[in-house]
Amino acid sequence: MQFFAFDGPYLERLRAGDYRTQEHFVSYFSELMRLKLHSRLRSEQAIEDVRQETFARVFATLRSGAGIREPERLGAFVNSTCNNVLLESYRSSSRNTPLEEEDSERLPDQAVDALNTLIHKQAAENVRRVIDELPERDRRLLKEVFLEERDKDLVCHDFGVDRNYLRVLLHRAKQNFRSMYLKTVTQREQAGGE
Amino acid sequence: MDHSEALQLMATERYLLDEFPPEIRDQFEEHFFGCPECAIDVRMAAAFIEHSKKTLSTPAIVPMPAVPVKSGWFAWLRPAFVVPAFAILLAVIGYQALVVHPALSNTIAELTKPRVLESAYLSSGTARGDSQTVVTAPAGQPFVLFVDIPADNRFSSYSAELLSPAGTKVWALTIPAEAVESAKDSLAIRVAPANNQSGEYVLVVRGMGAGATEGPELARYLFNLQLR
Repeated sequence: MQFFAFDGPYLERLRAGDYRTQEHFVSYFSELMRLKLHSRLRSEQAIEDVRQETFARVFATLRSGAGIREPERLGAFVNSTCNNVLLESYRSSSRNTPLEEEDSERLPDQAVDALNTLIHKQAAENVRRVIDELPERDRRLLKEVFLEERDKDLVCHDFGVDRNYLRVLLHRAKQNFRSMYLKTVTQREQAGGE
Repeated sequence: MDHSEALQLMATERYLLDEFPPEIRDQFEEHFFGCPECAIDVRMAAAFIEHSKKTLSTPAIVPMPAVPVKSGWFAWLRPAFVVPAFAILLAVIGYQALVVHPALSNTIAELTKPRVLESAYLSSGTARGDSQTVVTAPAGQPFVLFVDIPADNRFSSYSAELLSPAGTKVWALTIPAEAVESAKDSLAIRVAPANNQSGEYVLVVRGMGAGATEGPELARYLFNLQLR
């Protein structure tokens, strides 16, 4: 998880085909698209198809010099492109336009490198610490909602809480995880700078 | 949807808990695709949920309660008991080997070695005050008393009881009738001094009937023990 500002120079680098910027762009919006598509598509392959097609169209538009002029609209453009691809996917799952071979080769891959593995492990460790600090009742509540995927209204009823309690519980857990994660990232950056 | 609205709605949590109707969900997606702050918030919450599934699928680590030690014969074998017990046992064995056993060996050697013991002849007359027998013996060493016990066929056994100068019983000895009869003249009694006290001792002899615990006094022998 990287923190980045979308601005004019970023957009220019993206248009110019700068590999590092493309890599960041693909990584950043891939995560958001997966989150978005998971609630709409059942198959991982269908999600992957929509993701790739969305990037293919976005990069094609960027290279053509048309469309995006304001860097702050970049995210909205990716989202609307994704919506269009998704609608097409709904209409005909067999009609996905394959990516051009050329575009496919030029997209940065999503291979998991050693650093990503480390970040993933660190995130998992941070989540474990956050969950370990929760009261047993809240642990069970989260378990039934996220792991067992029980109906949330029924779970809240069983635990004698309302939906707002569940929302606030998730909010606090997320905040704790986020602050731990930021601390870890800062420490890693400091260690890397020494 | 703008950023303040998203915060106010707790949009990240509602989105991931699938609480939004489709049109609000679409609005929030449009927002967080363009809002790095909300995007990070959504990604953090999603990462938390994803990792928590793995964490929650494993049992919580709770401190193990102390396992009560099972009572029973094998409980003796636990190290907390066995190690000090074994150490004590070694100490006892060492003490016996280095101290007790040599002392006992010396004592046995002394006992098996031939020697001349001090002795004295006690006749019943001395109990009557005609003359007092004096027994002179090294302190801590045994001596022999020759006692003239009057045999009587009414008794199945006899008892001899030694009284100290203070009148307390030092020891008692049961003597079978056969021993008295076969002794003819006098019976030799080896006396190991129970204490190192000189003075006037009295040996009281009683006749004992079959099954009786106490019988009539037959003789009383007075002697003066002089320890060197």
